[in-house]
Amino acid sequence: MASRPTDIRFTKTHEWVKLEGTTATVGITDFAVEHLGELVFVDLPAKGKKAKKGETLAEVESVKAVGEVYSPLDGDVIEANAGLGADQTPLAKDPFKTGWLAKIKVAAGTKIDGLMDAAAYQKHLDAGGA
Amino acid sequence: MRKTCLNAAHVAAGARLVDFHGWEMPVQYKGILEETRLVRSHAGLFDLCHMGRLVVTGPDREALVEHVFSSNLGKMKLGKAKYGFLLNEQGFPNDDVIVYRDEDAVHIVINAGNRDRDDAWVREKCAAGKFKATVTNVSDQQAMIAIQGRDSEAVMQPLTSIDLSQVPYYGFAHCKVGGVDTIIARTGYTGEDGFEIFPPPEKARMLWDAMLGSGKAFGVAPIGLGARDALRLEAGMPLYGNELELDITPLEAGLDFGLDLTKDKTIGIPALREQKAKGVTRKLVSLVASSPRVPRHGYGIWHDGKAVGKIASGAPSATLDKNIATGFVPTALTAVGTKLEFDIHGTRYPMEVVPAPFYKRAR
Repeated sequence: MASRPTDIRFTKTHEWVKLEGTTATVGITDFAVEHLGELVFVDLPAKGKKAKKGETLAEVESVKAVGEVYSPLDGDVIEANAGLGADQTPLAKDPFKTGWLAKIKVAAGTKIDGLMDAAAYQKHLDAGGA
Repeated sequence: MRKTCLNAAHVAAGARLVDFHGWEMPVQYKGILEETRLVRSHAGLFDLCHMGRLVVTGPDREALVEHVFSSNLGKMKLGKAKYGFLLNEQGFPNDDVIVYRDEDAVHIVINAGNRDRDDAWVREKCAAGKFKATVTNVSDQQAMIAIQGRDSEAVMQPLTSIDLSQVPYYGFAHCKVGGVDTIIARTGYTGEDGFEIFPPPEKARMLWDAMLGSGKAFGVAPIGLGARDALRLEAGMPLYGNELELDITPLEAGLDFGLDLTKDKTIGIPALREQKAKGVTRKLVSLVASSPRVPRHGYGIWHDGKAVGKIASGAPSATLDKNIATGFVPTALTAVGTKLEFDIHGTRYPMEVVPAPFYKRAR
């Protein structure tokens, strides 16, 4: 397994978020992608959609199942990785970079300290990831 | 979770294991689409040890099976198998099963999820009708392995003590496979030619490896439950829990071929005769979606702005390269070409009624 970036934070439900100023980039982890299997579709949020922490932000569909992607924080969707609708390869091969799902504008001062770092996330996976 | 006698083989092969009715089973090895294509083009192996198997013996064994089985055992030749249902009095299926008429026994293969219920049901009816028969649950004393695909006979023949070309479709025989006494049946759940064997559990791994070895030249590999579900859906075969349930009759599911409505002493047949005479109000249809989203079990079916039914099964079809599904709709909406929609969180996606089955092999 490729090592995970250290400048991002993780949720228990296998999303990742990278916070730069007031822009949060959100995606799903390599574990989530592997677990879903062969991807067939990504349903991305529309620009301007209100993202609410813990609520469905996007859906990643595989041959076998639909995976809900929960927003790790509150904000407004400012961009989605539109190309994934037609070709899910970036998400399958490179979930932490070119496979990002959405960018969310968050309020100034928003913190993600409550989320896991790479080491804590690995421990979460070692414990079953549930 | 319970493990089959082939569990270690799945782990060694790198399968992704999931809980299937309390059994740790492989959902996929390499990938569902790739495994589906392998079975359609060559052949693949399936671990079916989790399925239930009953053996009925004794002088009244056939009378008991006629009583609980919806199809007509008496019209079956010895050495033949038939698909049908264990119906309740109201005509709803407790399960869909394959019955094998043997010389001194009747074998019944039942679904993993219904093992205990079916066992109790047949025993109860045996006792209530005072049949001189013995029902033995051999599920844990027998393994079950399937090979499915056009190369199955070529893979199995070198391992088998009889001429497999003499075993007809839905026929079975007693023989040796890999030196092990077993029944070999030309049955399956994929729409392809193939065989199912029922060896003792302690011989299962050796035979599994022998079949993979014999199949190496054809690229034979193990197939998970994900591809198994897609294969049976493409071939128009029902899955209990999706196309059949305790509130869906075989007539609604279009499975009339598993019923003999002329039988008098079979549980549930009178109720279905009545339903047939009145006509069903809903029926199962085959559907092809024209969206990238996949219609899936439980999604609502819509027509003309109204909810009209539910998706029973759905999957991306590797064979058709389209998203396919089955669903129950009012009989007025069952004509081929009828435009319907499926619903995901309030967004509707188009699909169309197509002829069943989606896939039929050339013979």
